[in-house]
Amino acid sequence: MQLDFSAVFPYWLVLLKGLALTIAFTGSCAVIGSLAGFVLSLLRMSPSRWMKAATTLYVEFFRGTPLLIQLFWVFFCFPVVFHLPLPPYVSVVISLTLYMAAITSETFRGTLKSISAEQHDACIALSLSPQAKILYVIFPQALLRAIPPLLSNVVSLFKESALISSVGVADLMFVGQNISNSTAKPVEFLTTVAIIYFLVAFPLTRLVGVVEMRLLRRYAY
Amino acid sequence: MNYQFDFRFLEGSFGALLDGLRVTIELAVASNLMGLVLGFALCLLAMSRWTIVRWPAQLFIEFFRCTPALLQIVWFFYCVPMMVDVFIDPILMGVLALGLNLTAFNAEAYRAGVQAVPKEHLDACVALGLKPWQRTMYVVLPQALRTAMPVLMTNGIGSLQQSALVAIVAVADLMYVGKSLATEAYRPLETYTVVALIYFALSLPIAKLVHVIERRQDLAVKR
Repeated sequence: MQLDFSAVFPYWLVLLKGLALTIAFTGSCAVIGSLAGFVLSLLRMSPSRWMKAATTLYVEFFRGTPLLIQLFWVFFCFPVVFHLPLPPYVSVVISLTLYMAAITSETFRGTLKSISAEQHDACIALSLSPQAKILYVIFPQALLRAIPPLLSNVVSLFKESALISSVGVADLMFVGQNISNSTAKPVEFLTTVAIIYFLVAFPLTRLVGVVEMRLLRRYAY
Repeated sequence: MNYQFDFRFLEGSFGALLDGLRVTIELAVASNLMGLVLGFALCLLAMSRWTIVRWPAQLFIEFFRCTPALLQIVWFFYCVPMMVDVFIDPILMGVLALGLNLTAFNAEAYRAGVQAVPKEHLDACVALGLKPWQRTMYVVLPQALRTAMPVLMTNGIGSLQQSALVAIVAVADLMYVGKSLATEAYRPLETYTVVALIYFALSLPIAKLVHVIERRQDLAVKR
């Protein structure tokens, strides 16, 4: 068969817009989701059994079901349950954030455990209030150590965000599929879209290694 | 919230959901078998001494790890038939796409396991005059498999969840059946909740098992 990749170039602006949307969704949901994930990991280590059980169930549920069904659930069921119409992009942000919170909370839980017991003791000895302890002692360290795994979480969110095309948000995947359908050139366009995803995600995964080597050795340990 | 839940309509579609579940399990099991076997082979290739073998294997791994699974599945369904010009059974195609994706992820998991095999063991293999394939099969693989098991199983759960994506290219798995039921009965809330619970019930026991294995491995290391 004949492949003609020059057919892709007239569409570069549309593809770029799709990519911008993908990155915007990934970025915003990564930030909100990580913050929520940190809070969630703190709640999960709380002494209250109910709190622990509820947050564990939340995390296990969101990690144990496909993101696609979470997306559909929020998209179709939130309007029914709460009686308010949600525009697609809002429901997409909600479900990606809920998902990101669940996966980053596991990351933070790992790093919180790696903060030694002596530091907790020192906070008590210095009579820091619980808020001060979390805000000035625990959070900065946990965040610093969590950067490499968090970056990997962001990369997976970036990839998973392709699913939002299935509820009609015009991200890179949606745009690519649309063009490939209307031009009947799936091989050229889908391959191009794959390469664009790769070009964004691959440097990020390399960055994980670099951050681990440089940053952590200098500051965290 | 004053929504009237009504799960009764699902009774009639029990068989359809079960059929979908069977397809989902088939996809997950087949892609896992593929991923477990090919993943190890790919890992060996990616760690090969020769650059000409190592580079393509590495590229394969990185490409599958750095592009969305949805895109890979759509790519397989649209492009492979066009390129090879034959009709391939949709489920087989789904297994192929999911399996190759899992292969890339498992190769990374195996790599950590292979690197953890002590160098003394390899020296011992030389001393015992084992052939390279014997060394790989009887010394390296069992140990790598053991170390990598938690990650391999987590990847396996991931593959079960990724299998929901084939619904988008109209393979009648659990997700697809759920989607069409929800549209037919106009009751998305109940249908999607039930489907989500089924996926959850499938993956939770495996996730728990992973926790148990991890804990036992940690204990073994401490001892």
